[in-house]
Amino acid sequence: MTYDTIVIGAGLAGLTAALRLADGGARVLVVAEGVGSLHLAPATIDVLGFDQGPVESPAQALPAFTAANPSHPYARVSPGLIAASLDWLTARLPALGYRGSLDDNLLLPTAVGAAKPSALVPETMAAGDLRAGGRFVFVGLGLKDFYPGYLADNLAEARLDGQAVCARALEASPPVAGEADRTSAGFARLFEQPAFRDALVRELAGKLEREERVGFPAVLGLAQAGEVWRELEARLERTVFEVATLPPSLSGMRLYEAMTAALREAGGRVHVGERVVGVETAGGQIEAVITQPAGRATSHRARSFVLATGGFASGGLEVDSHGKVSERVFDLPVAAAPAPDAARFLPGYFDEHPLNRAGIAVDDRLRPLDDDGRLVYENLHASGATLAGALPWREGSGNGLSLATGYAAAAAILERAL
Amino acid sequence: MASIETEVLVIGGGSTGAGVVRDAAMRGLETVLVERKDLADGTTGRFHGLLHSGGRYAVKDPEAARECILENLILRRTASDCIEDTGGLFVCTPWDDPAFGDEFVEGCRATGVPVEEIPVAEARRREPRLNPEISRAFTVPDASLDPWKLVWGCARSAQEHGAQILLYHRVLGLEREGGKVTGALVRNELTGEELRIHADVVINAAGAWAGQIAGLAGCRVEVLPGKGIMIAMNHRLVNTVVNRCKLPADGDILVPIRTVCVIGTTDTRVADPDELEVTQAEIGEMLDEGEKLVPGFREARALRVWAGARPLFSPEEVADTREVTRSHALLDHRERDGIDGFVTITGGKATTFRLMAEAAVDAACAQLGVDRPSRTAEESLPGSDEGQFYVLGARLGAREPVPQPDEIICECELITRERLEEAMRRRGTANLDDIRRTLRLGMGPCQGGFCTYRATGILHAVERLDHRAANGSLLAFLQERWKGVHPILYGDQVRQARLDDWIFQGLLGVQHLPT
Repeated sequence: MTYDTIVIGAGLAGLTAALRLADGGARVLVVAEGVGSLHLAPATIDVLGFDQGPVESPAQALPAFTAANPSHPYARVSPGLIAASLDWLTARLPALGYRGSLDDNLLLPTAVGAAKPSALVPETMAAGDLRAGGRFVFVGLGLKDFYPGYLADNLAEARLDGQAVCARALEASPPVAGEADRTSAGFARLFEQPAFRDALVRELAGKLEREERVGFPAVLGLAQAGEVWRELEARLERTVFEVATLPPSLSGMRLYEAMTAALREAGGRVHVGERVVGVETAGGQIEAVITQPAGRATSHRARSFVLATGGFASGGLEVDSHGKVSERVFDLPVAAAPAPDAARFLPGYFDEHPLNRAGIAVDDRLRPLDDDGRLVYENLHASGATLAGALPWREGSGNGLSLATGYAAAAAILERAL
Repeated sequence: MASIETEVLVIGGGSTGAGVVRDAAMRGLETVLVERKDLADGTTGRFHGLLHSGGRYAVKDPEAARECILENLILRRTASDCIEDTGGLFVCTPWDDPAFGDEFVEGCRATGVPVEEIPVAEARRREPRLNPEISRAFTVPDASLDPWKLVWGCARSAQEHGAQILLYHRVLGLEREGGKVTGALVRNELTGEELRIHADVVINAAGAWAGQIAGLAGCRVEVLPGKGIMIAMNHRLVNTVVNRCKLPADGDILVPIRTVCVIGTTDTRVADPDELEVTQAEIGEMLDEGEKLVPGFREARALRVWAGARPLFSPEEVADTREVTRSHALLDHRERDGIDGFVTITGGKATTFRLMAEAAVDAACAQLGVDRPSRTAEESLPGSDEGQFYVLGARLGAREPVPQPDEIICECELITRERLEEAMRRRGTANLDDIRRTLRLGMGPCQGGFCTYRATGILHAVERLDHRAANGSLLAFLQERWKGVHPILYGDQVRQARLDDWIFQGLLGVQHLPT
């Protein structure tokens, strides 16, 4: 069969584009080599956290930011569409209870105790907002990926808008059977067991101070996280929140599960474990992608395609031992890449490395352009971390970029279909 | 100013210095070692890990070959836990003259290096990734040697015999009274405190820095730092040490060590052993040479590149450091310069460190007028008493069969929380790089991506570090890891590095921490 749109990649950009298209009535297929970066990063939607300094309102900061960075992906997407993408996610996935908007960044504590701006955050994380100061206690569970004492010490030094943050750590050791070497996912399974929660609540009783907000590592369950969180708030009689920590990211996994479930419900298909091994083109158009899930190559045809394979971290972009930078699926021209014999990285870890902004340049409909600014394929759109011009971890713009450009790619395709 | 007295003062905490302090302490001499940084921070911790059979020098440098095989056999007995008995191959690739093989065999026989030609098919059966076009193959008893285990084994043994090891103590000057060196003025680099050490004999075991130390006593010692670069690949492309069968040149050795393999090396004369730059041209050459031994080398994942400074002693000016003998040099400054109480031991190789230490302590004993023989050729290092070689997978093998009571903090190197906390308490250091040299923390494929935050959190708790100091440790470790990663970042390692960036800068925001 011929799909309306095939999306390559199952991260936030790809799933956003696919779900938005399926909601718009399109027949959609997602093919992905793996589950994508949602399992690695928290489900907070950071749109713009830092420009010259910390950003309080992305809505206010974006016009100046895109004017100063004309090659940035945000400069290809209208501000209204960015705001619309946030509203859409909040409304489309009500079970995650997203809080916030483009108007104000929340400030969430990271697992080392830095303050990180995020525009939109899941309800289980929202109460970590530091902007009003206050008293916080961070509860360690013996999880090797969370060090509340270190977090609290750093946070206690943070003076945010003159509001003092009072932070302390508390180690709890609820009963854990079997191997001690447990990941976040292992703890999430424990939190979904009532007996574990009972024991934890009993252990914490009497150790919490009044007016204290209680932070746990972001491991409060997977499918039942909302219920677990609400139950802990009720039984501890305190405001409870999660703090994102090292991968695997439970909050990201919840977002992935919610998006793929919604997509299937809307009639979309998701094929994970299918690497694209070839492409069929004709007359400046992509006609099909060829995947090879298990030995036999299969051709998937569609009217339009969305490339959402991510950047270097996800393997959407590559650099070989001779310094040649390439895009993996369609071999698109890569913009902002240093020449093969030029330095790709600088000696200082935090330097602005020449390879950092490399990626795919696109037009205002997010269609890839070549070095001379000409359209490469008329029916191909690109979104997410594969785009050129962004410094997502520096700007605090990771998931915001993926959501906004995934949403915008779908909008461009739907608009044309109408 | 505080001062201490000792019979022997050893300068330098590389393999030579560690060997010297152990040898001297075992002979009953009161001994102190000072090292400006950590043990094995210099050349010893930056070599490819090859325990030479001597084969490499059999044709060109027979004296070095003889020393290597004798010491190889001694270390197999006395330092077995530091050695993986990989065996070694010399192979003729299409770029090598097969006739050199005959010269090679002759050289090995003349120097006592056990050698045997084996059919090419057998070599390829042992090492399936080898270039299928090799024309000849020879076996020799090469092995791989863990430099940190070796040096720490020597240091512990020396301490058991009463020696004092002072790390992060830099020599500011040597004290002289007339024609005699009487000790050194040192500074504790962590506290800034100065200390005067009076010694009957000072042994300069500063390796590539030995010329600088000798200069402090007014002696001229020509040590040419010969820079060699090495690249660690993500996994073991070979399980046997593989050498090209030709005169020693660049990029002609591939050493499997622990979970990685290391290709080396180059040899470039440099002015300053503290300034070792790795160029893209050198990396490209190394990868191309790797391709000749193992086709597809460039597509394999490279983890890290670094450079070490060989201490090559040369009494005359030479242009090409490859022409300088790999044999060691013992300089008794009493005979050489008329200065009493001062001995320099330099040149040589990690493989011959024990022999060098013995020679240096013999000279020191002669100056002290005592006659006590070295016992290091007979007595095993702590941990090597059973004569068991290190076996890859031993950490996993010990851990896997039964449920474990604690967590793995560094998955790449299988370091448990208990081992990490124990090492932090024992070493009492806030420097994660010291912990790396003790436990191999952060040396695996993720280059600290996952363990750095954990280790910092544990350091903060175990050593009651204040958060600013903990932040400093974290940031310094990230920079130290990056130093060896960025020059060789391509292929799959870019994915890892970007994930690490995402963790530290995106998720944790470490760049915003106060220090």
